[in-house]
Amino acid sequence: MIQFFHVSKRYPSGQSALDDVNFDIPRGQFVFLTGASGAGKTTLLRLIFREEVPSSGQILVNGRNVSSIPQRKIPYLRRTIGVVFQDFRLIPRKTVFENVTHLPRLLGVDVQGQKKMAYHALRRVGLAHRLNAFPPELSGGEQQRVAIARALINEPEILIADEPTGNLDPDLSREILRLFLEVNLRGTTVILATHDRDTIQRVGRRVITLDHGTVALDQELVGTDPPVLDPTGGASSEEHSEPPPEEEAG
Amino acid sequence: MNLLQALRYFFHEAAVNLLRSWKVSLLAVLTIAVSLFFGGAFLLVSGNLSTSLERWRSSMRAVIYLKPDTPEADLKRLAGEAAGQPGVKSVQPITPAAARQRFQEIFPGLADLVAGWQDEPLPASLEVSFDPAAAGKARAAWLDGWRHRPEVTLVDDDREWLGQLETVVAVVRAVGLALVGGLLGAAIFTIASVIRLTAYLHHEEISILRLVGSTEFFIRGPFYVEGLLQGLLGGLVASGALWGVYQFLHTRGRGSLVSAVLALEFLKPQDVAFLVLLGGAAGLFGAVASLRREAL
Repeated sequence: MIQFFHVSKRYPSGQSALDDVNFDIPRGQFVFLTGASGAGKTTLLRLIFREEVPSSGQILVNGRNVSSIPQRKIPYLRRTIGVVFQDFRLIPRKTVFENVTHLPRLLGVDVQGQKKMAYHALRRVGLAHRLNAFPPELSGGEQQRVAIARALINEPEILIADEPTGNLDPDLSREILRLFLEVNLRGTTVILATHDRDTIQRVGRRVITLDHGTVALDQELVGTDPPVLDPTGGASSEEHSEPPPEEEAG
Repeated sequence: MNLLQALRYFFHEAAVNLLRSWKVSLLAVLTIAVSLFFGGAFLLVSGNLSTSLERWRSSMRAVIYLKPDTPEADLKRLAGEAAGQPGVKSVQPITPAAARQRFQEIFPGLADLVAGWQDEPLPASLEVSFDPAAAGKARAAWLDGWRHRPEVTLVDDDREWLGQLETVVAVVRAVGLALVGGLLGAAIFTIASVIRLTAYLHHEEISILRLVGSTEFFIRGPFYVEGLLQGLLGGLVASGALWGVYQFLHTRGRGSLVSAVLALEFLKPQDVAFLVLLGGAAGLFGAVASLRREAL
C-alpha cells in the first residue's frame, strides 16, 4: 500500500529531514509513527500525500510513484487520503459543515447527500450539534475533531494523522483513538504520528520510530490495554490489567 | 462535480469574496466603469454624429447662384436644364424677389437690410436637391460644370462641409478608440491587482483546498468568476451612467445643437450588451492574467 525505498529529504538550506528511509505498510495496517520532535515524522507524512517531494528515493502509494506523479494528478491522489493536520487547517470563514463537506462537494455529491455525510462524520466525533459553527468559535479540541471528521467523511483508503490527540483531553483522546481503530477495522490504512508513548503502549500495533530522519526501530507492539480502545466496545481500562508489552523487532 | 455545480460554487465563492472585500472590489468596478463610460460616450457621440450625417446627406442640396441680371426666362430655362440631369430629384428656381421675401421671413429682425433697394439685392438661384442614391462623383462633376458656366456666380454645395464633418467623426472615433484602449488597459491592470491581492489574502485557504484534493480549476475558478463579475458590474455601472447623462442632455438640452446632434438617440441594446460584455471580458482577462504565473 505505502512503500518507501531509500527515501531521503534534504531542504535547500542543507538540513536533512529524512535519510535513507525504507518501509512497507500493507493495506489495512494500523501504524504508529513516533519519534522526538524534529525526528522527521511530519516530513514523512507530507511525502505520502505529495505536499513534499523527496530529494531521492521512491515512494509508492497504491502502486503509484507519488514523487513522479504529474502535477494535475496530485488532487486525485489526495482524494484517496484523509489527512488530519497537527494545526487542523480548517478554513476559518467557512462553517463546520462547509469545511467537512469539501471533498463530497468536489466529487459532486448533492446537498442532501452532503448533509447526511456531514452529520454522520460529525456524530462520530461528537460534534453533530456544531454543524453551523465557524472554526474560530470552537475550542482547539473541537477544531481537531472537525479536522478528523473532514478526513473521515469520504471513507479514505489511507488515513494520515499528525498528532491528532495533542489538543484533546484524555477521555476525548481515547474516543478519537477508538474511532481511528474502527476506521482501520473497516479496511482503511491508518498512519498516526504521535510522540505519546503511553498511548502507543496501551494500544499496541506496529510502531515505526524515527530518530534524526532515519528509521531507528520498526516493531510490532502488543497493547497493554487493548479492550479500552476496542472499537467493538470492550471493558474499561480500570477493569483490565495486562502485562507490559513484549516488543519485537519489525 | 459537474460543470453546473462547479459554476454555482464559483459564483457563490466569487460573490462572497466580492462582498467580503467590497472596498477593493468597488475600486476595480469603478475603474472599469470609468473606462467603459468613456468608451460608451465615444460610441454614443460617433453613432449620433453618423446618424446626423446620414440624415443630412439624404436631404443634401446645392444652391446655384446666378448673376444679378439674369432674366427670369433664363432662370426657368436653366432650371429645366438642371432638372433633366440624372440623379437630380428636384430643382426650384428662386427669383430675386422670392429670395428677398424668404430672407425677410427667416430673419425678421434684419428685414430692413433688404428693403427699399432700387434693384433686388439678392440674386436669383436654383435650389437643387438630389436623389440620395445618386453617385457622389457624378454629382460633383455635374456641379463643377455649373461653376464654370457664364450665368453662374457661385455654387454652394452641402457636400463640402459634410465631408469635413465626416473627418471630425473619424477623428472622434480614433481618439475614442485610443482613449478607451488606454483606460481599458488601466482597468484590466486594476482588476488583475485586486484579484492577485484577493488570492494573496486567501493563500492559506488555497493551500488547504489543494491539500484536500481540489484541482487547479476548482481553486482558480472563483477568482476568474470574481474578475468576470467585477467587469460585468463595471459595464452595467457605465451603461447606467451613460443613460443618465444621455437623459440629462436629451431632456434639459432639448432644441439645442448639442442635444440635436449628440443626444439624438441612445445606444442600441446590442451596443449596451457589447459594453457590458466588454467589461466582463476585460475582468476575466485581468483575472486570468493575474493568476497565470501566480503560484497560488
